[in-house]
Amino acid sequence: MPVAPRLRSGVELPLYLSPRIAPTLRSALNESALLTQLSDALGSPLGVILPQQLADNVAAFRAVFSDHRLGGQVYYAHKANRSSALVRELAATDAGIDVASLAELQHALGAGFVPQRIMATGPKNQEFLWLAARTGVTVSADSVGELVELATLVTEWALPPVRVMTRLSGFISSGVQLSSRRSRFGVSAFAVSQVLDVIEKHSDALDLVGVAFHLDSIGLPEKTVALEGCLAALDECRRRGLRPWSVDIGGGFGVNYLADGAQWEQYTSALTEAVLGKRAPLTWNGHGYGLRAEAGHIRGSLNLYPAHRPVSGPAYLDRLLRATAPEQRRPLGTLLLDNMYDLHVEPGRALLDQCGVVLASVLEVRDEANGDTVVRLDCNARDVSLEEHGVLMDPVVVHRTAPAKPGPAGVYLFGNLCLEADLITRRKVFLPSRPRPGDLLAFVNTAGYLMDFSATQALRQPVGRKVAMYHDDGAWRWCLDEQYWPVHRRAETA
Amino acid sequence: MRFETMTDAIGNTPLVRIDPAVHGLRNIDLYAKMELLNPFGSLKDRAAWNMVRPLLTQAAERGDTVVELSSGNTAKALAVIAGMHGLAFKSVTNRMKVAEIKDLLLLLGAEIDELPGQAECLDPTDTDDPLTRMYHRLAGSGGGYLHTDQYFNELNVEAHLSGTGPEIVKDLDGRAPDYFIACVGTAGSSTGVAAALRQHNPGVHVVGLVAHKSDFIPGIRTIDEVHEVGLFDPGVYDTVATITADDAIDGLLTLVRRCGTLAGPTGGGAYQGAVRHLRAIDAELTERRTAVFIVCDRVESYMSYLRERRPELFGRPARRNSTLTLTDADVMQAATMDVVQAQRWVAERRGLVVDLRSPFAYQALHIDGSINIVDEIFAELLHGGLPFGSSQPVLLVCPVGEKSARYAALLSRMGHTDVRSLDGGIIAWRDAGAELVCD
Ligand SMILES: Cc1ncc(COP(=O)(O)O)c(C=O)c1O
Ligand SMILES: Cc1ncc(COP(=O)(O)O)c(C=O)c1O
Repeated sequence: MPVAPRLRSGVELPLYLSPRIAPTLRSALNESALLTQLSDALGSPLGVILPQQLADNVAAFRAVFSDHRLGGQVYYAHKANRSSALVRELAATDAGIDVASLAELQHALGAGFVPQRIMATGPKNQEFLWLAARTGVTVSADSVGELVELATLVTEWALPPVRVMTRLSGFISSGVQLSSRRSRFGVSAFAVSQVLDVIEKHSDALDLVGVAFHLDSIGLPEKTVALEGCLAALDECRRRGLRPWSVDIGGGFGVNYLADGAQWEQYTSALTEAVLGKRAPLTWNGHGYGLRAEAGHIRGSLNLYPAHRPVSGPAYLDRLLRATAPEQRRPLGTLLLDNMYDLHVEPGRALLDQCGVVLASVLEVRDEANGDTVVRLDCNARDVSLEEHGVLMDPVVVHRTAPAKPGPAGVYLFGNLCLEADLITRRKVFLPSRPRPGDLLAFVNTAGYLMDFSATQALRQPVGRKVAMYHDDGAWRWCLDEQYWPVHRRAETA
Repeated sequence: MRFETMTDAIGNTPLVRIDPAVHGLRNIDLYAKMELLNPFGSLKDRAAWNMVRPLLTQAAERGDTVVELSSGNTAKALAVIAGMHGLAFKSVTNRMKVAEIKDLLLLLGAEIDELPGQAECLDPTDTDDPLTRMYHRLAGSGGGYLHTDQYFNELNVEAHLSGTGPEIVKDLDGRAPDYFIACVGTAGSSTGVAAALRQHNPGVHVVGLVAHKSDFIPGIRTIDEVHEVGLFDPGVYDTVATITADDAIDGLLTLVRRCGTLAGPTGGGAYQGAVRHLRAIDAELTERRTAVFIVCDRVESYMSYLRERRPELFGRPARRNSTLTLTDADVMQAATMDVVQAQRWVAERRGLVVDLRSPFAYQALHIDGSINIVDEIFAELLHGGLPFGSSQPVLLVCPVGEKSARYAALLSRMGHTDVRSLDGGIIAWRDAGAELVCD
């Protein structure tokens, strides 16, 4: 079919990027009176957490484990959100938690996680290592030096041996050379023997239970190579008489943010045309999201999260387990099972799919002389860090009263910092109806990294408060995030 | 025809008429330029040879490695040519998706460098595209490379301007066709041929075909990606149209089944795109017209691509003695043995223990006295019949007891009288603390 021009006599067709909204989140959004009340009382921005959705997401990952007959643990990567409600709700399930700082470890212990369900990852200071060793959580070590430091602490303080995992990186493939981005973390897969030397030397302090990796990549082939590399490392352990029994494949399972793949394709095509100057700009100052035009050609590459990702989360894990190991030529899931190994995963973003919303109130809506419409919000780009994470997805308008002017509006979303760059997104956003001051914009599905990972108090603007909304007795209820526990106080029944 | 070297056989491909009974156009003669008959298998032989030839002597003296961003035909041609001249070849790619081509490149001695996938956590400062990354690598390596740079190299266009294009004109008795249809990868062939044809007839209508956005057609670009190509100039094409992978395969089937032309997917796509474009015009015509499309390469390299998208084309008869034909009821009836019974059975050496897991897993830990036949090989053996006597006592072992139960059921159906499956598999055995050994 010939490629039709997308501009009809100067009329701008709205380029929506509608978010994917699951039933629970949809039902919470329908409570518009409650949402406006909460925002009025607690201020803007406001993080709304839906802790109960988390249990469903854990179950979806578990289902993949049982399809493959695999044992092992789902560790929630706490770093994706600071919420207490999420951690406490998770404590009520059978999942584990991956903590990457001293405070996250304290938080998990306080929420009810026993040490057996906690995995300590990431760069660690001495205090973090000590508390991990003292309480007996599993430590996923980034380097040989960290193992030595840990062993020294255990010996000095006469602590029981600590369960450790070793994070590996720099796996190599045979045949085709598959490069991975260089990682700051992990021991080179070639140098496993150095790790084993340390483990053997400190056998009274360190108990090696497995090996780990986390690749910051959406590429399955890289992960296939890494997972098989871990199996090879475990073989080496066995040759040396050690008996680790688990592989931790980290996080990075991804989320499908958009409801409609066609919208994503249309938008990215239109962006390419706009960068080439073939249509009016779609972004503030003609920003190209990594694309630029040079002599009529597109250079660079689209530096955005692939917001439409039909194979993500549990389905991505399933795909990986069904993938054939390049060397042993058997599905990776089958190899894990053949060897009786446990599989551990550390999803952050994927476990928080559909678990939260950021509400921001509209301060001003104004039409500029050049025809642009600007919506100024009482929050900034750090409070809803869509732009920083490259996620393009429309907010939902929560009107206080019926919209005055029905019909779509293309607007730019300005933040509340006196900073030129403080746009919630540099993209012109098309809303199905024009908001008015006092209305709310709901940035849905933002619980994973987009809610509070980057929030700061620059200009003494407050970091948004958080509430937990939960379903109980057939109705939506709410409380402050720090007040939430999985046991809900029920109204007295007469 | 006698040649000194295979590169002399590049070009001068035939122009063959497509039977009107196949395409159904009444007023248009449709011809295919048979680029699949080039010696290394595709149209890209011309560009590859034209780009490397002037630099060969120098490169051979310095012992340079030929390098190109390609996952297909250009890489193949360059690998062969490099090999003929004692040079190494390295292909850098982020889209090596066709298994056969990957294997062929490795067979030819090429080195393949695959670029990493997109980051899961966005790094806003990383705006490098694969090409920029490759340029950085080449710059960082301090020389030693002959980079043919097909997406920007004018010699790619020139190969077709002075070769493919004039050949078409010559074979049409000195006239350019009225329509020219080609798929666009680097845009080298369509740009070069279009320019040559227009020298004879400025009115030639040129149709460029690109893949539909969400589709992958090996060798060509999608409607968005085409703008990244340095040689791509929208002004060359009177029409840019999209084709889907389905179109390409439909066209491929017509060419291979009815036209004696073993074309790959882009040849099929060009045929399908040509007929679609011309059909509307044909209805209005009162005089005869001529159209030419390009068949770029051959079908054989795309079997996995075709199998994945049209499995029904490869329907084979079912094999005998397959676990796929068992019902749940059959499996339920398979005889099993629990760990306690099995421990005694094994200790008393009452029969053969077959472990169906992978060799590495078996070597690491297994039941003493068991032998290892990995399930895939066991399945293969059973297609031919029982690999042991039908009354030989056998205990089958797998990780959780599911696969072994299926094979026990299958063996019973094949007439074996003494087969059992270890209930709960080797994991139950381990969990019960029963002995596992390694040699
Ligand atoms: C070690 C480790 N595990 C898990 C995660 C979680 O990744 P994701 O949220 O992409 O699933 C991260 C993220 O940075 C990580 O570094
Ligand atoms: C199979 C196939 N078809 C078509 C083309 C398009 O040719 P060009 O690169 O000259 O546009 C290519 C180029 O790589 C190809 O490999």
